[in-house]
Amino acid sequence: MAAIAARRGFGFALPALALLVAFFVMPVMWLLLRSVTEPGLGFQNYATLFGTATYAKVFLNTFMVAGIVTVITLLLAFPVAWALVILPPRWSMVLFAIVILSMWTNLLARTYAWMVLLQRTGLVNQILMGLGITDAPLELVNNLIGVTIGMVYIMLPFMILPIYGVIRQIDASVLQAASLCGATRWQALWRVLLPLCVPGIASGVLMVFVMALGYYVTPSLLGGTSHMMLAELIAQLVQSLVNWGLGGAAAFVLLVATLALYALQIRLVGLPKGAQ
Amino acid sequence: MLLNFHMLGWWRWALGAVCALVAAFLLLPILFIIALSFGDSRWLIFPPPGWTLKWYEELFSDPRWLDAAFTSFKVAAVVAVLSVILGFLASMALVRGTFRGRAFLRGFFLMPMVMPVVVLAIALYATFLWLGIAGTFVGFVLAHLVIALPFAIIAISGALEGFDKSIEDAAILCGASPWEARLRVTLPSIKHGLFSAAIFSFLISWDEVVLAIFMASPRLQTLPIKVWGTLRQDLSPVIAAASTLLIALTVALMVLAAFTRKGKKQ
Amino acid sequence: MTTPFLHINGIRKTFGDVVATDHVELKIAEGEFMTFLGPSGSGKSTTLYILAGFQEPTAGDILLRGKTLLKTPSHKRNIGMVFQRYTLFPHLSVGENVAFPLRVRRTPADEVQRRVKRALELARLQGFEDRMPANMSGGQQQRVALARALVYDPPVLLMDEPLSALDKKLREEIQHEIRRIHQETGVTILYVTHDQEEALRLSDRIAVFNKGRIEQVGTGPQLYNSPASHFVADFVGDSAFLTAEFTRASGGTADLRFADGTEVRGVPLHGADPKGRAELMLRPERIRLVPQPGAGPSLPVTIADITFLGNVTSILARTSWGEEVGIRLPFGHPMASGLAPGAQTQIEWDAASAHAFAARAH
Ligand SMILES: Nc1ncnc2c1ncn2[C@@H]1O[C@H](COP(=O)(O)OP(=O)(O)OP(=O)(O)O)[C@@H](O)[C@H]1O
Ligand SMILES: [Mg+2]
Repeated sequence: MAAIAARRGFGFALPALALLVAFFVMPVMWLLLRSVTEPGLGFQNYATLFGTATYAKVFLNTFMVAGIVTVITLLLAFPVAWALVILPPRWSMVLFAIVILSMWTNLLARTYAWMVLLQRTGLVNQILMGLGITDAPLELVNNLIGVTIGMVYIMLPFMILPIYGVIRQIDASVLQAASLCGATRWQALWRVLLPLCVPGIASGVLMVFVMALGYYVTPSLLGGTSHMMLAELIAQLVQSLVNWGLGGAAAFVLLVATLALYALQIRLVGLPKGAQ
Repeated sequence: MLLNFHMLGWWRWALGAVCALVAAFLLLPILFIIALSFGDSRWLIFPPPGWTLKWYEELFSDPRWLDAAFTSFKVAAVVAVLSVILGFLASMALVRGTFRGRAFLRGFFLMPMVMPVVVLAIALYATFLWLGIAGTFVGFVLAHLVIALPFAIIAISGALEGFDKSIEDAAILCGASPWEARLRVTLPSIKHGLFSAAIFSFLISWDEVVLAIFMASPRLQTLPIKVWGTLRQDLSPVIAAASTLLIALTVALMVLAAFTRKGKKQ
Repeated sequence: MTTPFLHINGIRKTFGDVVATDHVELKIAEGEFMTFLGPSGSGKSTTLYILAGFQEPTAGDILLRGKTLLKTPSHKRNIGMVFQRYTLFPHLSVGENVAFPLRVRRTPADEVQRRVKRALELARLQGFEDRMPANMSGGQQQRVALARALVYDPPVLLMDEPLSALDKKLREEIQHEIRRIHQETGVTILYVTHDQEEALRLSDRIAVFNKGRIEQVGTGPQLYNSPASHFVADFVGDSAFLTAEFTRASGGTADLRFADGTEVRGVPLHGADPKGRAELMLRPERIRLVPQPGAGPSLPVTIADITFLGNVTSILARTSWGEEVGIRLPFGHPMASGLAPGAQTQIEWDAASAHAFAARAH
C-alpha cells in the first residue's frame, strides 16, 4: 500500500513519455546505431570523421563560430539586461517588447532580412559607402561576417532573458551597501554586480553556445562553403551523399557535445528557464 | 546605486546608447522587411522608388503559397491541442506526482528543447521513412509535437505549481470525483498556463523549418518550407510579403498571450 | 452500549520512519464541537486528513454511525472541510463556489438557489454572490469556505486551523460566527488549532495532541483544573513549574519538599507511581502575594520584575534557589501596591489549586 502511494501520479506522464520514447529516443538511438553499423560494423565512420582534414576543419569552425557568437552576444546582452531592470518602466516595457518580438518573429523572415541587408547592393553596404568608410561594396554574406551577424541577432534574446532574470532578483540595497562601503562605480560593477549575475550569465552563455553549435538555418543561408558548420555537414552527408553512417557519427559528436553542456548547465544553474 | 537608473550619472547615457543600438539592431530588420514588402523594386532597392501591393497579389494568387499556409495552420493547430493535452498530463505527473525520479523525468521531458534540431530531424526522417509517414500530415504533427512539448510542459507546470493542491482537495471533499475536480476546478484555474502553452506550441510548429526541410514532400509543404525553397532560388520580394504576414500573425498571438497574462493577474 | 456517532478507532499513521499519529482513539457524539489542540507536528492535521480520506491510515479505523468510512473515497464521504489555506475556486464567483457541491451532486437548479441563499445567510454573506474570491479579504474568504462546506448538510465538518492566517481581532469575530453557526446547524465539528484560547472559547471538548498521541480528552475546565500530565498542564493555560522532592505520594495527593526546605502537603497528584523528583504546577492567577506566611502553603521569594500589561499586572518572582514564578494580578490590585523589584515577600496558594507531577526525564 505504501509502495503504491509512493508512486502515485506516474501514469499521467505515460502519454508524453510514450511520444518521446517512440519519436525522440528511439529514432536518435537508431541513428547512432547506424553510425557503427553502416557500411560495416565498427568505428570506421568515426575514424573518417576525425581523420579527414575537411571534417576536422568543420569541427574547429563550428566551435569557433559558436564561441565568437557567444562572446559578442554576451557583451551586447549584459547592458540590455541591466537596463531592462533599471530603466523607467515605460522604456523598459518598450525594450522588453522589442526583445520578445524579435525572439518570436519567424526565423526565416529574420534571416531573409539580413540576406537582403547584407548583400552587395544592400542597405548596409550603401550606408558604409555613403559614410565613406569603404569605396567598394564589402562581401558581408556567404562568409564568417554574415553568419556571425545573423546568429548574434538570433541569439541575443536567449542571452538577455536569463541575465535579466538574475539581475531582477538582486536587492538594490546590496549595491547601496557596496557604495557606502566606499566602492566606486567600477568596483561595484566588477566586485558586486557582475559576480551576482554569474548564474544568469552562465545559463545564457551555455544556452547560446549549445544552440549555436547545432544551428542549421542561419549558417546555411548566410554562411559560405568555406566556413561550413557541423549541422550543415550532417544535413549534407544525409541529404546529398545519403551516407547515414557518417552522418550518424557526426550527429553523435554534436549530440555528445550538446548533452555534456546541458548536463553542465543543470549542474551549475538548474533546469532551463522557468522549469522550477 | 548601480540598480538605480537616476543615480548612474553619465553611465546612464552610455547604457542608454548601447540599449538604443541593440534595440535598433533587433527591431530595424523586421521593419525593413515590412517596408520592402510594400516597395515596388524587384531588386529590393531601399528606400524603394515607389509603393505597391503587387507582391501580396502575387502571393495570394499562387495556390502553392495558400496551400502551404493552410497546411502549416492545420499542423500547428493540431500540434497546439495535442501538446496542451500531453503537457497537462505530464505536468500533473511532475508537479503532483509522488513517485521517485521526478526531477530526472523533468530533465528528460525538456531534452528536445536543447537537442540540436538537425540531429532530431535526420533521426526522425529515417524513422518516418521506415514507417512510411515521411512527408505526411501525421509525420509533421508528430515531429513538431516532440519539440513543442517541452515548452508546453514549462508553461503548464509553472501554472500548476502556482495552484494550491488544497483547492483541488476541497473540490473533492465537496463531492467532485478526482477527474471532475481536475476538469472543473484545476483546469479553469490554470487556463492562462494552458493558453500560453497552446500559443507557444502553435508558434513553434508554425515557424518550424529544419524538421520540415528533411520531411517535406512535393505533395505537402508547410509555409516555412515554401519560404525556404523560394529563398534558395532568389531573394524575391514575395518572401518579404510572406514574412510580413508571418510577423503580423506572431504579433497578434503575442498580444493575445500578453492579454491572458494580464487577465490572470486580475 | 450504543454505537458512538463518530469513532476514531486506534488510528496510526507513519510516513517512513516518522510516526505522525499513534493509536488515536476518540469517540465523538453527534452535534459535538471537538477540538484537536496541540503543538506543531503533533499529528492533528494527519488525523483530520485521514477522516477526509486524503491519507490512508497505516492501522486503525474510522467509523461513522458504526460503519467504516475507509472504503469510501473522499468525494463520496459527504464530509465538509474548511482548510487552513484559502481554497476558494479562483475562477468562480462566491455564489458559484457555494453552489459547487450541489452542482456536482446534480441538484435541481431551484433547490441549488434556495440552499446557496440559505448557506450565504448563515455565513452572513448576503449580497456577495457575484464577488470573485480574489476581491475578498481573508476573513470573508474563510466564511465563504464555511458556507461552501455547509451547503450540502454534511454530518461532520472538519476545520484545519481555518483562522490561523487572520489577525487577532478578525479571528475572534469569526470564532463567534463559528459558534453561532454550530448552534444553529447542530453539525458535528472537528476543529484543529494550536491556539489554546481558541480551543477553550469554541469547544465542547478538547483532545490534547502530543507527538502523535492524545494526552487527554475533556472539557476546557476539566483540562484546566485537572490536567492529566505535565504536557497538558503546560499547554492549557499559563503555568509555572517548581521543582521539588516527593516526601509522600498516595491516594491522589502528595507531599513535597522544596530545595529551601519548605514543605507542602496534600497537593493533588497526577500520573502514576511518582518517585524522587517532582514538579509543582501553579496557575499565575491563583497565586497571592502576602507579606507573612498565612494559612495556605507558601514560599519566600524575591520580586524580579513587574510589567504592566493593560488590565493585568504581571509580576515575576524568584525563589531562593533561582526558579521563576509568574503571578498575575488585576490592575490596581492592593497586593501589587508598594512592590518594587528586589522586594522580599511570600507567595501563597491553595493546596487544591496546585498540581504535582513526576518530573519528566530530560
Ligand atoms: N506527507 C507527509 N510526509 C512525511 N511526513 C509527514 C507528512 N505529513 C505529515 N508528516 C509528519 O507527520 C507529523 C504530524 O504532522 P501533522 O501535519 O499532522 O501535524 P500538525 O499537528 O497538523 O501540525 P501543524 O500544527 O504544524 O499543522 C509531522 O512530524 C510531519 O512532519
Ligand atoms: Mg496541521
